Amino acid sequence: MSTETETENASQIDSLKERWRPRIERFRRGWDRFTQEKMGVLGIVIMVVFIFWALFPDVFAPHSMEWRAYLGTEPGRLTAEQADSLPHPPAFGDPFFAPLGTNYLGQGILTLVVHAADDALYIGFAAGLLSSLVGVPLGLISGFYGNTWIDETIQRVVDVMYGLPFLPFLIVLVAIRGITTTNIILGIAVTSWLNNCIVIRGETLSLKERSYVESAKVAGASDTRIVFRHIMPNVLPLAFVFLAQDAAAAILAQASLAYLGLADFTANSWGLMLQNIKSNGYVFDAWWWLIPPGVCIMLIAAAFYFVGFSMEDVTNPQEES
Amino acid sequence: MTRISARYLGKRLVVSYLTLLVIMSLLFVLIRSMPGSFIGSMITPELDQSDIKRLRETWGLNEPMWRQYIDFMINYQTGQFGRSPTYKEPVWDIIIRRFPRTLVLFGSAFIVQFIVGPLVGMYLGWWRGTRKDKSIFTSSLAVYSMPAFWLAWLFIWLFNYELGWLPSTYMFTKFANFEWTTLSIIVDVLKHIALPLFSIAFVSWVGAMLVMRPAMNNVTGEDYVFLAQAKGLSERTVMIKHAARNALIPVATQAIVGLAFLLDGSVIVENVFSWPGLGQVIVSSVLSRDYPVSQAAFFMLAVLIIVMRLVTDIAYTYLDPRIKFGGDS
Repeated sequence: MSTETETENASQIDSLKERWRPRIERFRRGWDRFTQEKMGVLGIVIMVVFIFWALFPDVFAPHSMEWRAYLGTEPGRLTAEQADSLPHPPAFGDPFFAPLGTNYLGQGILTLVVHAADDALYIGFAAGLLSSLVGVPLGLISGFYGNTWIDETIQRVVDVMYGLPFLPFLIVLVAIRGITTTNIILGIAVTSWLNNCIVIRGETLSLKERSYVESAKVAGASDTRIVFRHIMPNVLPLAFVFLAQDAAAAILAQASLAYLGLADFTANSWGLMLQNIKSNGYVFDAWWWLIPPGVCIMLIAAAFYFVGFSMEDVTNPQEES
Repeated sequence: MTRISARYLGKRLVVSYLTLLVIMSLLFVLIRSMPGSFIGSMITPELDQSDIKRLRETWGLNEPMWRQYIDFMINYQTGQFGRSPTYKEPVWDIIIRRFPRTLVLFGSAFIVQFIVGPLVGMYLGWWRGTRKDKSIFTSSLAVYSMPAFWLAWLFIWLFNYELGWLPSTYMFTKFANFEWTTLSIIVDVLKHIALPLFSIAFVSWVGAMLVMRPAMNNVTGEDYVFLAQAKGLSERTVMIKHAARNALIPVATQAIVGLAFLLDGSVIVENVFSWPGLGQVIVSSVLSRDYPVSQAAFFMLAVLIIVMRLVTDIAYTYLDPRIKFGGDS
């Protein structure tokens, strides 16, 4: 009895291996081609650094989030001189260690920057994924039923959404739902699936004319089967490219909202750090506070773009001329 | 000469108009679903219930929703935008004063974007895969990833705060004591527009480049490019005259995407530079729940986008002789 199930299991695993081998092979070949693109590798490296920051902030940050400058030396109370020196420029050694200086509260900039990585990654991945989840299926449906009323309806919805300026529209959405990180992500997803949808639609329109789709149709495959088994696998690489771009756009949108004062003030994010500089009037006085959050936003958004565009090269190789 | 039939144009106009109507309805619903209302800021402890009721009546908030909706739809199409409760003046005055200023900033950024972007894209697409292409492409993506307002701050810091070359706020010098001749006004505006324009254009040209680069790369394989090369025309002539012209078509298609991106950029940048345009008004009126003004500002931006879409569609026909709209092709 037991041997029977074992062999059954073994054969199941074997058949599973059989089925997955070509996919793994394809993935490996894709990966090899991807790693030839220096830009994509750079993007991955940046992303890995930020992921490490997000996972183990205590290892990378010099202090904990509760740390304040001077509090170690003079518990609870600052002298007037010390309070005046905040935000403090970068200092090494005594009386405290702040490699990137401090903000007006005496929090270490490096500490804040490292601890905000998780927020940026969360917003990027969540918003990118959500807008793909809306845009890709709609694009598939719209393309597959090209030039019917279904396509027409979806395209008119896209038209209407294009007519609304993205950022002000996002402000209204966030104002309606309340300013939380989740609502900001939802708002970004609602407003940013358009490009996704249009490009996937175009790709689907050309794919559905291919002979293998025709033959599947003749073989009697249902519409859903054709869309999900035959067309979707071919648009997925493109969808990933757009996921990466949406993620980058989402991070930038969140920073813009924060600039306008529409950020979750209980969270800690790079956009919020920039908003704090502005609201406390240190924009031109504390370069050590102004530069790092902006550079981090730029790096993470660029990393997403790098990976996305390298993937485009991998999935859609242009002939070298 | 004209390749656009009246029938096609008519159809496009009707569709654009219907789109605008839907956008207006959406605006009405969305803006009214924001919690709170502008009445809140007018209510003071001295007012009793009847005063508040009168206030609501004055601003038409006591009417049923469908009635307000119909009024809104009719009034907007006849150009009656009503009065603003927070600005204390007709909405039309606010909009008409600020719209041209947004158009100046935004339009010049649009022009810069669509000169620089396609040019760089043309160059990179032609030399795709070379080291030059890769390094320029990577660095422009990095530029594309900068938060617009942060970049604007860096510019203000450098050019205004440190070097003192350019002003960083408003469109004109306030309380200026120089002669208000046409020339001095133009110079003054140019000085004031430099930093905001530079901040927007520095980032947004990359959007146009991103479309131009693959388009250019696609046309390099076309027969007519080989033919032109075989004729012994110089590399530059082939690149600009033969390849780029055709690669511009998808750029025109995608211009609308760049347009939306540019508008976002200018909303933020207007706020940074206190540029007295619509972008600034739209943010503050949404935050203060000033329905009449925010609706009108959204409406104007939507009209701008829809008109630009129509224009880009028509621009195709002049770029690509193969495209023929509405004719019997």
